[in-house]
Amino acid sequence: MNQIGGQPHGDALGGRSTVRRRLAGGEAAPVWAALAITFVVVGSVAVTAWLTVRGHAKAMREARAAQVENACQFVAEAASPLLAAGDLTAVRRIVIDTARANALDELRIVLGDGGVLAAADPAAISSHQLPPQLPEISLASTVTSDARTVASARAVEIPGRGRARLEASGPATMPTGAMRDAQAAAGIVGAVGLVALMLVSRVLRRRLGGMAAIRASLLAFERGERSPETLTVDESLGAEARAWNELLAGRDAERRRQRAEHAAEALGAQRAPRTELDDACDALWQGLILIDERLHTKYANGAAAVFLRAKRDEVVGAEITRFVSDERLVNAIKGVASGAIRNRLTVEVERTGDNGSGVLRFSVRPVRRDDSAAAMILIEDVTQQRVADAARNAFVAQASHELRTPLTNIRLYVEQLLDGEPTPADRAQAINVISQESRRLERIVSDMLSVAEIEAGQLRIVQDDVRLDALFADLEADYRAQAEDKNLDLRFDLPPKLPVIQGDRDKIALALHNLIGNALKYTPAGGTVRVIVADDEQNFTVDVVDTGIGISPEDAERVFDKFYRAKDRRVAELTGTGLGLALAREVIRLHGGEVTVQSELDKGSTFTLSIPIHARAA
Amino acid sequence: MQINEQRQGAVIVLKPVGPLVQKDADQLKARAADVLRKSLGRFVIDASAIAYADSRGLEVLVELTEELGAGGQALKISAANETLREVLELTELTPLFEYHEDVNSAVRSFL
Repeated sequence: MNQIGGQPHGDALGGRSTVRRRLAGGEAAPVWAALAITFVVVGSVAVTAWLTVRGHAKAMREARAAQVENACQFVAEAASPLLAAGDLTAVRRIVIDTARANALDELRIVLGDGGVLAAADPAAISSHQLPPQLPEISLASTVTSDARTVASARAVEIPGRGRARLEASGPATMPTGAMRDAQAAAGIVGAVGLVALMLVSRVLRRRLGGMAAIRASLLAFERGERSPETLTVDESLGAEARAWNELLAGRDAERRRQRAEHAAEALGAQRAPRTELDDACDALWQGLILIDERLHTKYANGAAAVFLRAKRDEVVGAEITRFVSDERLVNAIKGVASGAIRNRLTVEVERTGDNGSGVLRFSVRPVRRDDSAAAMILIEDVTQQRVADAARNAFVAQASHELRTPLTNIRLYVEQLLDGEPTPADRAQAINVISQESRRLERIVSDMLSVAEIEAGQLRIVQDDVRLDALFADLEADYRAQAEDKNLDLRFDLPPKLPVIQGDRDKIALALHNLIGNALKYTPAGGTVRVIVADDEQNFTVDVVDTGIGISPEDAERVFDKFYRAKDRRVAELTGTGLGLALAREVIRLHGGEVTVQSELDKGSTFTLSIPIHARAA
Repeated sequence: MQINEQRQGAVIVLKPVGPLVQKDADQLKARAADVLRKSLGRFVIDASAIAYADSRGLEVLVELTEELGAGGQALKISAANETLREVLELTELTPLFEYHEDVNSAVRSFL
């Protein structure tokens, strides 16, 4: 699992690196603020402690100076009578004891000539005898001190002999218990402050780490990440992280529940309790609706919802008139549901638009069983039937016309031969016309039979050798005269040698006849029709290129439909069944090939017939 | 993927050309969904030019037939080659579809 804010495997989305990066951004400010506050508090405590210690030290130095001065005074007063008595030993003991008792580094009695009469350090004594008359020395009492030392000097009166100088110096402060306590207190305060600082920092980083991980998760979600495994954050980052994970888990569960519900609905399985009858109704491709006397829908199967372009839940319970607007249909439903009409009514409604076009047949009938439903509506999509009916009607009309025209010609010329006394020339012309019209009839009937075979799925090809050179020679011979009669330039561009392929000669000829015949038919006099044959390693291809009336883009999509004739007025003026191109495409597809068209209205058309090379004869 | 669309009466015939895999399958799904919406389900898939299908291709076919199933219909597949039929059988998806030998019989089934 690749959690955001998770442990070692951190990458762009997850891991501590992300958290650290986020902390360097917006989340770092509170941390630094907390650290600054902590520093100020700890610093204040430290300064207060320092000032306290400093004041205490000053007082200690002053007390020390007084102590040193008092010690000097004591020694001077004690030494004066002893020196007068000449008892140097006692004086020197007093000096040593006083120096030790007062922690003095130096305490000595100095004579005017510089000799040391007594000192805390006996080694420093240089005058071992007290002179009867001391050299003159003048000295006022002084006390000096600095941060490190305190010094005092004063005169020692020796009655009858003169004066000597008492000098004392020692450390400015003396270690005392209070001083140590103050220092210890400052140390403890500092240590506690540092520990508090670390704890605050740790807590804040942990708390903000959770927020940073959640923020990284949100940013990942914004970038399109949806995997719960990736969006989940490390729960050890705190309560927020756990709450976030619970939120994600809840959302994921809800999403799964909705998907399952949607899938169940799509499969028509969400309604409980379902019965076999429900399943059977949902398996119908006809829409089935039951409504009550208030026109409210009591039941609708899946197909009904599709036909009404609504969800089934929306249909059931709602008034049916919300979904149907055709006035005839609404009246029929109201009539049957109210009981005013007791027979079946059928209404066909044509719908247009991109959202499901077609012809729907609504059959509305009362439900006479002993139930609460007032009416039943059966909906059928009859679009294809209507299209087929229209095409069949058009075909019948067109075929009648197509059959009647040659039959009329044949009948007229036969009557002419039977009734009159035709000249040999007239007889020859009549027989020629009869022959042409017979072939025309044969072709029409053949097309109809082929269409019938296609409709029945029985159109088959008979594989045989097809000599293309002979086939194109026949085609050229068939259409040369027709082209000249219409003053068309008909050209066959054939390669020097045409192959022999495997196929159904009659079917291939049928397709080529239709393509070339159409080109001649729909190209005005003076135009050009070219039949270009190409033979490469993969396909045998025939392009029929004309400079005729062309085909509009709308018609081009449908010219291969059976019975379809282009809506161009110039096409309607010419006879035709609308079967030729459909037949051509079908038979070529049976050979594994295809017929396509490229055309521009008023410029001309190019029909391309191609058959895969594997149809080539061995 | 090239998808040829041909109208036979009120029925639309979709003919995908090439293997039905990954993005090509999604392309067919989008195209078929559009046709389904426009035609109330009157459409056929001409599978004659589908060489084979991968899991995504099969998934798209199942999704389409499920969508049609909401209206009581099933996806009509015509002219499926041996490979595609075998794949559908091996994956036990065969019962989900309606098969026709050629496009014409599939179109006629709407009558």
